[in-house]
Amino acid sequence: MSRDTILADVRTALGRAAGAAPPPVPAAARVPPRQPGDPAAELALLLAEIKKVAGKTQVLQEGELAAALAGLVQAEEIKKATCWQTPELQALGVERLLADLGVEIVSPYADKEALAACDLGVTGVDAALPETGTLLLRGGADRPRPVSLLPRVHLALLRPEALRADLGPAFAEVKGPGYFVCVTGPSRTADIELTVTIGVHGPQALYVWVLPAR
Amino acid sequence: MSEIPTHIDFRANVQAVRPEMPASVQKATARFLGTRANVVGELGEARWQQLRQAGHDIRLHTLEHLDGYLALLEQRVTEAGGHVHWARDAAEANRIVLEIAARHGVKRAVKAKSMATEEIGLNHALAEAGISVLETDLGEFIIQLAGVGPSHIIVPAVHLTKEGIARLFTEKLGVDAPADPFALAAIARRTLRQAFLEADMGISGANFLVAETGTLVIVSNEGNGRMCTTLPRLHVAVVGIDKVVPDMESLNVLLKLLPRSATGQKMSCYISFITGPRGSDGEGGPQEFHLVLLDNGRTRILQDEIARQTLLCIRCGVCLNVCPVYNHVGGHAYGFAYSGPIGAILSPQLLGGKVAGDLPFASSLCGACAEYCPVKIPIPEILIQLRRRVVEGDRVEGPSAPPVIRVAAGVGGLAFRLPWLYEFGTQVLKVAQAPLRRDGWLPALPPPVNRWTLARPFPAFAADFRQWWRSRTPAGRRKMQQRRIGAVALIAAAVGLLSWLLGRRGRQ
Repeated sequence: MSRDTILADVRTALGRAAGAAPPPVPAAARVPPRQPGDPAAELALLLAEIKKVAGKTQVLQEGELAAALAGLVQAEEIKKATCWQTPELQALGVERLLADLGVEIVSPYADKEALAACDLGVTGVDAALPETGTLLLRGGADRPRPVSLLPRVHLALLRPEALRADLGPAFAEVKGPGYFVCVTGPSRTADIELTVTIGVHGPQALYVWVLPAR
Repeated sequence: MSEIPTHIDFRANVQAVRPEMPASVQKATARFLGTRANVVGELGEARWQQLRQAGHDIRLHTLEHLDGYLALLEQRVTEAGGHVHWARDAAEANRIVLEIAARHGVKRAVKAKSMATEEIGLNHALAEAGISVLETDLGEFIIQLAGVGPSHIIVPAVHLTKEGIARLFTEKLGVDAPADPFALAAIARRTLRQAFLEADMGISGANFLVAETGTLVIVSNEGNGRMCTTLPRLHVAVVGIDKVVPDMESLNVLLKLLPRSATGQKMSCYISFITGPRGSDGEGGPQEFHLVLLDNGRTRILQDEIARQTLLCIRCGVCLNVCPVYNHVGGHAYGFAYSGPIGAILSPQLLGGKVAGDLPFASSLCGACAEYCPVKIPIPEILIQLRRRVVEGDRVEGPSAPPVIRVAAGVGGLAFRLPWLYEFGTQVLKVAQAPLRRDGWLPALPPPVNRWTLARPFPAFAADFRQWWRSRTPAGRRKMQQRRIGAVALIAAAVGLLSWLLGRRGRQ
């Protein structure tokens, strides 16, 4: 069996007998985690980094979501939208607010062709990393993966509580069975004559709105 | 470029490099080095060096305990509902993928950029089985349409102009394509979006495999990696066994090193963390996940303690960007999926010295690659080790250089050890070269040394330095005089001896 042959070849090459469990990673191979600044500075850094990678950011106060959505629907000519079904987004009433604006709501459980025809996908954010402007999004039954991928515009709604100083602490929270993705700006390529082109396969625009802390 | 090479002749390949290649390659390498310098500078030199050392330590620790980590990885992927396959070589890996495809009646596959599948020639195998496979990274898509190999590991189509790509799209896709990068990207988006939605199987490689959790990690900018691993009902990943890392904490280091070194980004746009198939129908994502763990020569690479460090590589491509040789020839000359300094050490170990023994010599040993490598691979040291392997052989592989090269290297080595032999040799060559000499150059040498003069003339042997040096002092001049008398006496004695011997033979 190839499995046993390969493992035996590895052991022979390393000069070791079978069955030894790997020892812990040496402490020297770890780096101290990044130390966070104060919360306001961290949030400012996050938004600045997102802007640097062509993301569009906005800080919303209580009750400003409806008006912000109206602005987005107009600016991006949103006709169809789909949303995560998390309790958080449901409590915010994102689908209802969009429907009130005349946007057709497509179920995130619809087939992929229907989701690809959406103009807007709305998601939450499970963790955000200020140093790089990165959003971490988990997958799950109420967080269908295509919502942040197929529509041409991605809107991510973020609470300041989701900020983490570094990848390490963020990974420690989300690791385990299941899927997650780190998103840093909209899709981009420089494959043709090194000209940076935004929106090649994934979303062509990324909006990150910060909601008030709960 | 989906064919596995049977012989790589670097010198001949260099002759085939088009004159515009260095200019376009250097545009890319200069861009990446510039953006890299910015983001590394932002972190600070001390922090960067700390990260490099940690990256090296993590990768080396994993290699030294690879058996245990592979077993753990297999267990975790299986627990997450994935299927793990093991392939000793390219043929077995291709067979496994074809069997999975056949079981699911796959007709159309989409593929995210993957070096491992290039290495095994998977596209070729799929096409032979009647399965259409589309490269979806924009650069890979372009070179697949053009039917050429990658010229750079990160931007594979950098040698093609927008005008050339526009002609290609017009011809192959039947659309009216203007010579504008944005319009061309939009055409590719439309074409490939349809392919993503229609495909039955997504194929990917991986940047990392996390043993602790059984997680496949894919780093991309365009989002094609996400498409290939989210939309088709079946996801097959082909990944070298060297891609394992112990745990998520290790990625905290490696994901800081990779994007900064590769494209000069602090973070790539998308990093997917895939653990098994989808958790529920509502989540979306593939129903079945297969991981093919590929050896294909890697366990042999592990045998040597120095050369083993080749497998630390995280495929960032920075060694290409800083390499003076790569910058002058581009990726095609290396004749395989891997180019530049990493290609020069990886290809000969994967393919063997008989196929790729030329490549360790395609370097000036300047050491820039080792200075920049984010996981501190001692590339020059490995190059020298592999040169020795090609000529003399070692416990991993016997010598693969033609015997004449080995004899010549032996004679050369002897001459450098014995000054009198060296001096004698240069004087002999000075005389012997006369029939070939034209205007101070040797434009054509006889085989096997014609390998040099195929590319450029060889300077004629002058060898006057030692004479000039001695002639500066009276003592030196006296010594020269004595030597000349000695040489004449020696030659006279030799001629005498020879004629006596010939005379004796004639009498017998």
